[in-house]
Amino acid sequence: MGIADHFPALIVVVLFAAAFLSPLLYRYAEKISAPFVIASLLLSLLMSIALLVQVQQFGPVFYHMGGWPPPWGIEFSADPIRVYILIVVTAVSLWIFLYALRDLKHELKKEVIGWYYTLYSILVGSMAGIALTNDLFNLFVLMEICAISACAIISIKEDRECLEASFKYLILSAMGTGCFLLGVAMIYMATGYLNYSFIQAALAEAIVHYPLNIFTAAALFIVAFGTKAALFPLHVWLPDAHASAPTPSSAMLSGLVIKIYAFALFLMFYHVFPRGMLTTIPLNEIILWMAALGTMFGSVYAMIQTDLKKMLAFSSIGQISYIFMGIGFHHDLALVGAFYHIMVHAITKALLFMTAGVIIYSTGVRKISDLAGIGRILPLTMLAFTIGSASMVGIPGTGGLISKWYLALSALEIGRPLFVLVILASSLLNAIYYMPIVINAFMHQEDFIHEVRPVPRYMLASLIVGMFFVIVTGFFSRPVVTLLEQAAILLF
Amino acid sequence: MEILTGIIDNYYYMVAIILFVIGMYTMLTHANMIKKVIAMNIMDTSVFLLFVAIGYTHGAQAPIIKEGADIIYVNPLPGALMLTGIVVAVSVTAYALSLVVKIYRFYETCDYDEICEIRSLE
Repeated sequence: MGIADHFPALIVVVLFAAAFLSPLLYRYAEKISAPFVIASLLLSLLMSIALLVQVQQFGPVFYHMGGWPPPWGIEFSADPIRVYILIVVTAVSLWIFLYALRDLKHELKKEVIGWYYTLYSILVGSMAGIALTNDLFNLFVLMEICAISACAIISIKEDRECLEASFKYLILSAMGTGCFLLGVAMIYMATGYLNYSFIQAALAEAIVHYPLNIFTAAALFIVAFGTKAALFPLHVWLPDAHASAPTPSSAMLSGLVIKIYAFALFLMFYHVFPRGMLTTIPLNEIILWMAALGTMFGSVYAMIQTDLKKMLAFSSIGQISYIFMGIGFHHDLALVGAFYHIMVHAITKALLFMTAGVIIYSTGVRKISDLAGIGRILPLTMLAFTIGSASMVGIPGTGGLISKWYLALSALEIGRPLFVLVILASSLLNAIYYMPIVINAFMHQEDFIHEVRPVPRYMLASLIVGMFFVIVTGFFSRPVVTLLEQAAILLF
Repeated sequence: MEILTGIIDNYYYMVAIILFVIGMYTMLTHANMIKKVIAMNIMDTSVFLLFVAIGYTHGAQAPIIKEGADIIYVNPLPGALMLTGIVVAVSVTAYALSLVVKIYRFYETCDYDEICEIRSLE
């Protein structure tokens, strides 16, 4: 076996290893600790890209941990969709980390920055693991790792709001994992397997004998992943957690962490439950209506916020609902839209949180009403905010349009034009709360009254990278969409 | 009647579910944060009990294979899995309790309602 055969495991191992080495390096050789984490993130990104090439050429890859074949051993599997998510996770987290290097210095105490690198690497590693794993219990363990490290990158900034928010997040996410584990028990009871592929084969028969077990498991999974991904009525933890956290953590949590759970729910629906089941019981319908309500209420709540970061957090609830809507439509074009939105929203929301971070760093302003006239002081930052908001609304030329386009298209294909209206209405609602900020920032007559610190070039460079990718995903969507279309068509 | 006999035959599953609901209810409704953490543990433990109950076979032996002997063994996998589950639950509990300690230092109380009151006065 060459080294390339071990890539699925190595991607996770490299990140976890970096996590445990970085605080040591930070203590004894501070200069190289950050480049070390960057190198490990870059290495896992390169391995993910190599894995994509491998998967494209030779078909799906199955990796057996320690050489034990399933159902006994743990299996990692890499198909185009999983590797696509993997690349999004590693690439976006690398970009956010570059921004974090400068931003953390003024948000955290100096001693804890080394530990922040640890938590960050563990978080990325566990998300990569969730995308790759093909084993339910392994998924549970990775979800708990992800939950603890996600809470910890909020509470590491030890002020009151952060501590309370992360406690709230921890309790609700513990409820989510509790429900998930109960669902796993139900499935294990009926089939005796934990491996996705084996379960799917065994459930086709078991569902006749134990329908209640399987339906209960499905309901528990919806609650579990719905809570963790902030699907509408289960979103209560999100606004506090994402708004109070240090900016890089907010970008990470809103950009990637909630999406990885939506992706895990997709894996449950299409790789664990048997194919016919989604059409016989109205699981999709439940998700669809929760998502439709979420797009509306997320935007309505965002509208009444006065704090910039809180507004962005509420907007995430609306945006994650699009992804759930794509899963709920049960159609290949909708899945293309949902997965494209995972990438677009990861980039866009991270960019918006970064601009909020730059504004707070430079002026200390958090209130939306105080932002009037800021466009003339920080033109590049507000330009980034403008492009980010355009993508949120779905204006042509930005990535946000493409995903909404595919979602609307599939709503028409399956004959439910009502949801096209929902998508349109929620886009308008997005415009209602994003555009006034942009207009006020540039057009306001009076001068900006607060003191302004110069923005470091490092931060501006990250913003420029973000703007570049928002535009690129808007104009050159073809390669990614082709990849997703080919993968999605196989699922039906 | 069928449901009733089903429940009586599988009473250990029912115990696990009742514990799960008690844990979940307390965790979501109780204002005291320490009690929330305890309830979280009750909830996790109930699932562990359920898992171990699944692996149990009546009249079977511990899974130490003797060559040639025709013996029924219990399923060892759920036990092994729950060992991992316990480790995970312990680490979540430790982290949650450390958060409670930190919050207590700010407010001198563990009660969530009182914290809300203090915050509304500011």
